[in-house]
Amino acid sequence: MTTGPSRSRRYVMLLLLLCGFSIILFRLATLQVLQAAELTAKADRQHQKIVSFEGARGTVSDRHGKVLAMNVEVPSVFGVPTSLESPSTVARHLSPVLHIRSRELERKLRQDKSFVWLARKVEPEQGRRLEQLSLDGIGVVMEGRRFYPKGPLLAHVLGFSGMDGQGLEGLERRYDSHLHGEKRVTVLQRDALGRTVFPKGLAEQVPTPGQALTLTVDEVVQYIAEKELEEAVTHAHAKSGTIIVMEPQSGAILAMAVSPRFDPNVVAALTPDRWRNRALTDTYEPGSTMKVVVAAAALEEKVMTPGSMVFGENGHMVIANTTIHDHEKLGWITFSEVIQKSSNIGAAKTGMALGEQRLYRYLQGFGFGQRTEIDLPGEVSGLLKAPKDWGRRSLASISMGQEVGVTPLQMVSAVATLANGGVMMKPYVVSEVRDQKGRLLKEVLPQVKRRVVSPDTARAMTTILEGVVTNGTGAKAAIPGFRVAGKTGTAQKIDPRTGAYSSTLFVGSFVGYVPAESPRLAMIVVIDEPQGEAWGGTVAAPVFRRVGEQVLNYLGVSREDTVKIALATKDY
Amino acid sequence: MKTLTIVAGVMLVFVFVWERVDVVRLGYQIERLKTQKVLLERERDQLQVKFSALTAPERIAKVATEKLGLVPPQQGQVLMVHQPGEVPSLSLPSVEQVRLARHVSTGRVGE
Repeated sequence: MTTGPSRSRRYVMLLLLLCGFSIILFRLATLQVLQAAELTAKADRQHQKIVSFEGARGTVSDRHGKVLAMNVEVPSVFGVPTSLESPSTVARHLSPVLHIRSRELERKLRQDKSFVWLARKVEPEQGRRLEQLSLDGIGVVMEGRRFYPKGPLLAHVLGFSGMDGQGLEGLERRYDSHLHGEKRVTVLQRDALGRTVFPKGLAEQVPTPGQALTLTVDEVVQYIAEKELEEAVTHAHAKSGTIIVMEPQSGAILAMAVSPRFDPNVVAALTPDRWRNRALTDTYEPGSTMKVVVAAAALEEKVMTPGSMVFGENGHMVIANTTIHDHEKLGWITFSEVIQKSSNIGAAKTGMALGEQRLYRYLQGFGFGQRTEIDLPGEVSGLLKAPKDWGRRSLASISMGQEVGVTPLQMVSAVATLANGGVMMKPYVVSEVRDQKGRLLKEVLPQVKRRVVSPDTARAMTTILEGVVTNGTGAKAAIPGFRVAGKTGTAQKIDPRTGAYSSTLFVGSFVGYVPAESPRLAMIVVIDEPQGEAWGGTVAAPVFRRVGEQVLNYLGVSREDTVKIALATKDY
Repeated sequence: MKTLTIVAGVMLVFVFVWERVDVVRLGYQIERLKTQKVLLERERDQLQVKFSALTAPERIAKVATEKLGLVPPQQGQVLMVHQPGEVPSLSLPSVEQVRLARHVSTGRVGE
């Protein structure tokens, strides 16, 4: 049996053991129960790497698959100020690589933060040089940067996206929900050396990239339009210019050029004025091109026939105590000649013969005063007052293209309606949306808006508009070997200082289609504030000819003389 | 029998350990290949951007005119010659046909 002292030793030992175990148990309970969540999170931070992935923004291509906008991963540089011993030394090393002043870098690196961006989306070469420097507390991550490899080509339509990949302008904005890639957070496991061991849910790692857009635009047609527009605007010392080329049968936009151009790769220093798509955001008084619409309405309503005689009042007519002038003294002329010679008095008389309600109905029918609903942002509806708001001169003024504001897109859509046998199509620029594997998600088909005039009226108007080019004011739009139908327009702008029509500020334009017998292209050329000769027939019609000739050649459209060659070959 | 069971048990343990090690090894391999894939995709994209920039019509026209001394075809210098009996491939159907076809298709338009 144990004696008293040895028993007491055992009790002491037992007590010590109990105390020891109690301490261990208490510690265990603290770690496993009380601090469980906090410690698990701490362990996860050490063993797991949480990475945020964003799928690449979708590609934008022209109708032949030529890439116009795409994402490329480029380095972004960040700093961890809390881990830096000498921010000034690091800043001095970084400065020549990042091309940022050392003082500015040092200011960022001295902030009391654990993360600061130093330069985002820099060139790949800069990233490589930084990796060679291997500076402590400086890191490089890859981020998607939007590139527009063709530079300014189609910039006003494409728009651009922001630093964080969000669409800000143009198609980038309108189709942002399709283009932006999916954002996904993934947990990666790391070993003791920081290497990724095995990702949880391997398949979930790669987020879905954005969808790809295929446009109706042809980059070669776009280039031709931009080149000729730039030359015309420069030559005329004009403020700006617009060209739209459209397929009349479908409403598909082949080219939409705006001058001055801009490079969407470098937009930081530009103002919205530079990237605004004037083809659909700016309105102008169309002047004589509006006579096309008035004439079509008159023919459709049988108010006039091409052979109807109209008295030109020898160049002067008084309406509502104001005098309307023609640019030449005209006597009795046919209705066709009213359009071909662009008689203001003849157009005013035609409008008055139609009456307010009918003219207004046709203006609406041809799409004025309302958006064309093209799939681009920023479109305005123009200005078309209701007849109850018209003044005593309004009927005459609107008939010759005043007191009404239109966009170039509205005007080309209206004339394309005549090229399409009287049926108006909805203009559009995106023809297909595909996923990252090229599977078709959405196909945009041509959409009929409405019939505006009969095929007979459209044919009669084509004959009259051909006369504008062969015998009238649009002679400089003639393309050898093709029949061109079109109309010139020269509109006075309102002087912002006086509020009256200016005698020096004009908008010269030409709108038409070619070949007249089976139109492939409907086109408008608008030159805003040309200096010197400002007539539409002088500044815009030659541009129509140059663009039309090159585009028809590019598209392989046969000239009238081709038939003769083919026949000769056959005979031979 | 007892020895056999022990040997089988040890082998099972070896197989289990080997499998775990192999999973880790394959994990590293997958990660390496994924990194390689990302780098190749990055290079492909950079080459695509370069290709697109080099094939821009503006650049081609500049090289053609300034370096090669070419000029755009002048009026009347481009003639489309078709083989006897050949219908020009780019000619469009008549307006009426197109219009009828599009009437049918309008319901499918989305945007």
